[in-house]
Amino acid sequence: MDKLKAIGTINIRKTAALAALLALFLIIPHYMRNAQLIMFSRVFILAVYGMSYDILRGYTGFINLGQAIFFGSGVYLGVIFLNMQNNLGSFVLALGAVILFSAAGGFLLSRIVLRTGGVVAAAMVTLAIGEIVRNIAERWRSVTGGQDGLPLRFSRVALDPLFSTRVGGYYFSLAFMLVMLLILRAFILSPTGRVLMSIRENEQRARFLGYQTNRYKTIALIVSSIAAGLSGVFFAVIARFANTDYLSIQYTLNALLITLVGGTGTLYGAIIGSFFVTWIQTFLLDLNRSFPGFTLFRYPMLFVGSFYILLVMFMPSGIMGGIYRLADWYRSWKTKRVT
Amino acid sequence: MDQLLKAQDVVSYIGPYTILHGVSLEVGHGEAVAILGRNGAGKTTFLKTVMGLVKTRSGILELDGKSVTGMEPHLIQRMGIGYVPEDYGIFDLLTVEENFRIAMWKEDKETLERRDYVLDLFPDLKLAYKRFARNLSGGQRQMLSIGRALVNDNKILLVDEPSKGLAPVIIESLAQALIEIRSHTTVLLVEQNFALACAVGQRFYIINEGRTVESGLMEDLVKDKELQALHLGI
Amino acid sequence: MGTFVTLIINGLAQGALIFLMASGLSIILGMMGVVNFSHGTLFLWGGYSYVWSYYAIRFSVVMRLFPDAVPLTRFGSILTIRGVQLPPDAALPFVVELGIFLAALAFAVVLVFALGYVFEKLFISRVYGNIPAQILITLGIQVVFTDLVRVIWGPNPFPIERPPFLNGVTAFGGARIVHYNVFLIIVGAVIAVVIHRVLTRSKVGMVIRAGLQNPDHVRAIGINIRGYFSLVFACGAALAGLGGALYMPLVGNVVSTAGMSNQILAFIVVVVGGLGSFMGSALGSVFLGLMGVAIAMLIPGLSVVANVLVMALVLIFKPDGLFGLAVKKHG
Repeated sequence: MDKLKAIGTINIRKTAALAALLALFLIIPHYMRNAQLIMFSRVFILAVYGMSYDILRGYTGFINLGQAIFFGSGVYLGVIFLNMQNNLGSFVLALGAVILFSAAGGFLLSRIVLRTGGVVAAAMVTLAIGEIVRNIAERWRSVTGGQDGLPLRFSRVALDPLFSTRVGGYYFSLAFMLVMLLILRAFILSPTGRVLMSIRENEQRARFLGYQTNRYKTIALIVSSIAAGLSGVFFAVIARFANTDYLSIQYTLNALLITLVGGTGTLYGAIIGSFFVTWIQTFLLDLNRSFPGFTLFRYPMLFVGSFYILLVMFMPSGIMGGIYRLADWYRSWKTKRVT
Repeated sequence: MDQLLKAQDVVSYIGPYTILHGVSLEVGHGEAVAILGRNGAGKTTFLKTVMGLVKTRSGILELDGKSVTGMEPHLIQRMGIGYVPEDYGIFDLLTVEENFRIAMWKEDKETLERRDYVLDLFPDLKLAYKRFARNLSGGQRQMLSIGRALVNDNKILLVDEPSKGLAPVIIESLAQALIEIRSHTTVLLVEQNFALACAVGQRFYIINEGRTVESGLMEDLVKDKELQALHLGI
Repeated sequence: MGTFVTLIINGLAQGALIFLMASGLSIILGMMGVVNFSHGTLFLWGGYSYVWSYYAIRFSVVMRLFPDAVPLTRFGSILTIRGVQLPPDAALPFVVELGIFLAALAFAVVLVFALGYVFEKLFISRVYGNIPAQILITLGIQVVFTDLVRVIWGPNPFPIERPPFLNGVTAFGGARIVHYNVFLIIVGAVIAVVIHRVLTRSKVGMVIRAGLQNPDHVRAIGINIRGYFSLVFACGAALAGLGGALYMPLVGNVVSTAGMSNQILAFIVVVVGGLGSFMGSALGSVFLGLMGVAIAMLIPGLSVVANVLVMALVLIFKPDGLFGLAVKKHG
């Protein structure tokens, strides 16, 4: 009985905390500079990208090194469609296009990757496919602008007349993240999500129970691809620019980093991971600007990559996992002191 | 007492699972001891624990008075243990000759003499000496695995279920070979095949659910039908 | 007919280069169960360190022998690469040119060997058996050490030359035979024979073949397989380094993205040839090299996707590779 009560109060507390957090997020943009607004908008969108990766890695154990294909394609599609017509209709068309593209791509990828079964082969194959896609994009100048990239032609105002300020972009990204969070959470809590979870725990057992595990993995791959693609389209609105970096291993690494920092299998972790990764990259860019003579700061991946290696080696369950462990330790320490 | 292998309350684990909950046994110099027990009782895990392939959580594990707990498997082997694993541990991509050579500590006269002794013991291996091990039959693999463990100047031979999956005729010749081997080497045998265990072992231990539950002389166990029924399901 | 011969030679030369990458990758994967996503970086380090040491040695030798030689434009960043224009009618003796070339190759190979050894000891040995962590760590190393190359030698591509004694073309019938390609084929063949001999005749080879099947059994017969892991990893790295060193003069253009693109070729070979199979990676490399050259000539538009297409088809129809491992892997 006591235990039940405790759970109840925790839930109320949790809900209150979430509501407060949401209110905070709704208010703060009015007190932020443009650069901060852009940073937070990126955080929200990259959080969705991180969640897309979380679904894949956290719930299927599969390491896709080509996740940036979907994100990058989303960015390109966003820019291309908005360049045709800078309005909401065009944006919705871009979303539709990216859903189709990502679903088809995810399905195709699952056909190739799930055949081999192993994590190793899957990682190798997706890395290769990702690099080839980036390569094609670089050569297909007429559409992608090659190495110069593809800017949004309406540089001041994206998606007129929905909003014309960075604050608008902030709310736009926040709403996107919240909606996607709810959708992906529903997916994970759905019967399909439950099966995925049991596959993660013990694939063989799930198979013996009669589930066609590959079918469920395919579904997860497609959902993850679509989420990554959608986040790409939204990112296009904020970044107002597309280039092949968004398709490259660098952006796949960003997704990995987000899930590594936030911990896999939590969805919420991706928000923290995204905040951290975006912040560190903005910080490094600022450093580069402040110390133009210092060559090292021209290579943010040098620092991000080193940090990432250390994280894999010493904090495999992510910073969130580390915090949880600390909390557990603190709780057991407290109970020990009481008794 | 002059003990060669001594285990006391050994607890070992694989990942999050504790497999052995307390195994205690002793093997004296020149003895032949059999470990019996049902499937999954922890017999194979005990041998793996001795070899350091499964990690020890607590307890004492000594060879010739020196502790082997926490040591790397290859160093434990070099202390003088010949190990014949459950699935033979034969290297398919190596020839029979190479399977011998890879196991030799050094290729000196004594080692080569021991190898020749093994080849005389198992003439099949002499015939297949230059062939790749993947072409061997199950019985030949078992002979190679036992023979390979004998080429070094070992103190003790650990044999894990040599009869597994083999035809009765072959088991019989294996028993002959093991009896011959036992006359000059200490042998610790894990076996489900009761007849083979009786033929080779002088003393026995029974492991159940990761613990040693019975021990005694083999001739007593042969007479004690009740004990057999209780722990071995015979 | 002439075109055909040219094509075969170019294809085999490409195959030889890919083979240097893929064979190390494949043995490391087969024996240690480690996919080395930093293999391309080792390749890149081999390439840059070769180019740097070749030009540095040659510059000082030329300036000492011919004080009136003209230094050329400088490329690079922290370390720079600088060519030199010999006076008219002057040339370095063949032996000296050969010595410079071999010294630079040796420098590159030794450096990358050491780099591989350090990677194994520092990072990879901590995550044996944990495949996701291996992939993530080696991927991180790839990114960091590729950027380090850019820090040290600058991010911009620059042109380089082949050693003069390997720089030539012989017309033979209708065929244009590029000397450097013939050289690559010879190196590839020699290395293949050496690896084969080591694998079949030496103690190290025995341990590698045994380890391909089951590292635990190798430990249980008294062999410190971890020590062999470090050695094999470093040797695989050195092969990749040699590949990188020989690759740069072939393309004549030093680019920091070459590591990743060649790593992907090696991955494709390993997948097509079968994980952990030495013969598979040898045959797969030759196959991929020939196919690449043929497609570049016949259907240039398809050349980017052809390799991945082949890999995808192999995975769909023959997931174990075209030349699967002769032994089933246990545990």
